[in-house]
Amino acid sequence: MTYVKNRLRRTMMFVPGNNPAMIKDAGIYGADSIMLDLEDSVSLTEKDAARLLVYEAIKTVDFGGAEVVVRVNGQDTPYYDQDVKAMVKAGVDVIRLPKTESAEMIQKLVKDIEKWEDEFGIERGTIGVMAAIESAKGVLHAPEIAESSDLMMGLAVSGEDYTADMHTHRYPDGRELEFARNMVLQAARAAGVYAFDTVFSNMKDTEGFYRETNYIHELGYDGKSLVNPRQIEMVNKVFNPTKEEIEDAQNVQNAIREARAKGSGVISMNGKMVDKPVVEKANRVLETAKASHLIDEEGNYLGE
Amino acid sequence: MDRVVDLYLNEPATRKRWEAFLSQLDIHNFSDREIDVIDHTLGLLDEDGKLVGTGSIAGNVLKYIAVCNKDAVVGARFNKIVTALQQYLFNERIFHSFVFTKLKYSSSFQHLGFTELAHSDQAAFLESGTPNVEDYLDELPKIADQANKKVTAVVMNANPFTLGHLHLVEEASKSNDLVYVFVVATDLSLFNSQERLKLVQAGLKQLKNVVVVSGEDYMVSSATFPAYFLQSPEDLIQTQTTIDARVFKNIIAPKLNISSRFLGEEPKSHTTSIYNLVLKKELEPSIAVKIIPRLELGGELITATQIRREIKAGNLDQIKSFVPETTFEFIESNLAELQQRIKEGMNINGN
Amino acid sequence: MEIKTTGVAGTLESSDIQIMISKGSNGIELDLDSEVKKAYGDQITKVITETLQKFGLENAKVKATDKGALDCVIEARTLAAAQRATETTDEPKLEVL
Repeated sequence: MTYVKNRLRRTMMFVPGNNPAMIKDAGIYGADSIMLDLEDSVSLTEKDAARLLVYEAIKTVDFGGAEVVVRVNGQDTPYYDQDVKAMVKAGVDVIRLPKTESAEMIQKLVKDIEKWEDEFGIERGTIGVMAAIESAKGVLHAPEIAESSDLMMGLAVSGEDYTADMHTHRYPDGRELEFARNMVLQAARAAGVYAFDTVFSNMKDTEGFYRETNYIHELGYDGKSLVNPRQIEMVNKVFNPTKEEIEDAQNVQNAIREARAKGSGVISMNGKMVDKPVVEKANRVLETAKASHLIDEEGNYLGE
Repeated sequence: MDRVVDLYLNEPATRKRWEAFLSQLDIHNFSDREIDVIDHTLGLLDEDGKLVGTGSIAGNVLKYIAVCNKDAVVGARFNKIVTALQQYLFNERIFHSFVFTKLKYSSSFQHLGFTELAHSDQAAFLESGTPNVEDYLDELPKIADQANKKVTAVVMNANPFTLGHLHLVEEASKSNDLVYVFVVATDLSLFNSQERLKLVQAGLKQLKNVVVVSGEDYMVSSATFPAYFLQSPEDLIQTQTTIDARVFKNIIAPKLNISSRFLGEEPKSHTTSIYNLVLKKELEPSIAVKIIPRLELGGELITATQIRREIKAGNLDQIKSFVPETTFEFIESNLAELQQRIKEGMNINGN
Repeated sequence: MEIKTTGVAGTLESSDIQIMISKGSNGIELDLDSEVKKAYGDQITKVITETLQKFGLENAKVKATDKGALDCVIEARTLAAAQRATETTDEPKLEVL
């Protein structure tokens, strides 16, 4: 497995790192990313066992093509060093650092990863990093964190810890997270990295889940963290492009093809220049459409 | 997903919620005798935070295990709570645990690697982990060609060891090649397990064919037998004795070639006389039960209960004539400490 | 490697295996309890024994309660239990896996 900086990441499914049944099945639900957790979902007495289990799982379990992320324990814990070492050796795609509050913390993580890559003879730069933003300090430092490393994959808002730090808790309307969501997203976009929204844990409130997912999609988030596989399809539905968006994107690609055939350096469509953001958006739309089986390999529309 | 949480039963609200949950599952006995020995309690909460399972630890015994299987894969919650209880014990460095449960749940525990030691029509007694009963029996001293020798056993609490106990073992010693004296290992007595074992060993040193060992967890005591799951508290002595007798008869005796057991006659204690009756019924005919009349001195029966009362009163002279020299020396030099234990609430009228 | 205490790892939940390792003197003495013992008992035994040998334990009593674990889970749990039994959890021996 190798870290790919740009790929589809609508859903990041949390899987407790000490639960073989859930790890074994994690790949069958079609999550874009699977986040194996060594931190909060593993009790203090089981950290060693979970680390070995996740290590072995990464090496042997088929995760169905999903990106494999591991949330290690924080840098203020005695588990962090061995967690990073084991995950580097296992060949994880991305390491997620919890409670990130500064660029230095990410830089330390990258250094630690490089140390183990060198030790195990693994090429540097094959493992990405991401930061979980879980405190007021983390939110205010989001811009420097987002830009702290070339290996930065993205930022994730973690609502539970953040709201506790803010002396509040989660509410159904999400107003308590408004600032953090916007700040983290701005920082991510400015740095050209991904942005992930926090989990929504009340499985019974389907309506609330859709409301929140629609909202963060509108804001511009790339994806959402999930605790339950049933939420994957729901997120994908929200993130699906419309038929018009897909057609637009296909037209952009056609314009590029034509310009290339003509040997022209300037790409235009409908009298306007097709610049980089437009191309990137078109690529994102088509990638999402393909992943959701809205178009086939030739680009034929399969939706309703 | 269900999650395991710590429950603190000293919180009235928690205690109420816990009792209400167990009551729904037909457990109604929350007497002090059952609750006071609990070291820790765990709960299992579903996604809505509702209590759907619980279990407790008392020493190395799992207690009050109950789960609600509604909206869950049958067995999943049970496995989860038992795993969590075991992990709690492992962290306490207790790797050997026991459960006393309704007979119908024995197979559920066996699915989780527990081994049944004995059962009655109401209850089952199981163990898990290491060292197990096989290890325990392997470690006991043996003599050459034991399989062809006449071997007997005496089980005693010896709280403390008296001339009456000595007399009983002497009788057993006369007619056998080897006598195992199992000292009950519960710490609810005035003399603690260590002290009792030492005094029995010291008092029997002169008898060369006698081996004194701790009964560890395999001599089931009425003092520690959990009764919370029994239909009525009156079933306690009957159930405990039956379980105790069956462990002895089916597991301990065969491995050590024990063919008989010596008991002291019990004219005074209600508990012990029922115990003797049930024991006789359970053990015979494969294990011969020999009931030996109590030793009398000057027309008085010797009982450990009487000794403990004299300790409380400080009558060393009275004690001296009823116990071996070794026991007397111990009492004499530890009188203040023993009296202190009584003062602090140690019951001296039980066993 | 010397066993210093009893070491246990794994749970009794579905797809897991609980491994308990304690001192022994007669090679690897394995007591396996599994619902799929007939079909997979030999394989499970092999995985546990090989993992312990790779780890460097020649003598141990092992009690395994299997709930349908995959080989990779059996290996990870066996190693975790062995590291706990030898009090070496601070230095995970990843090369064993």
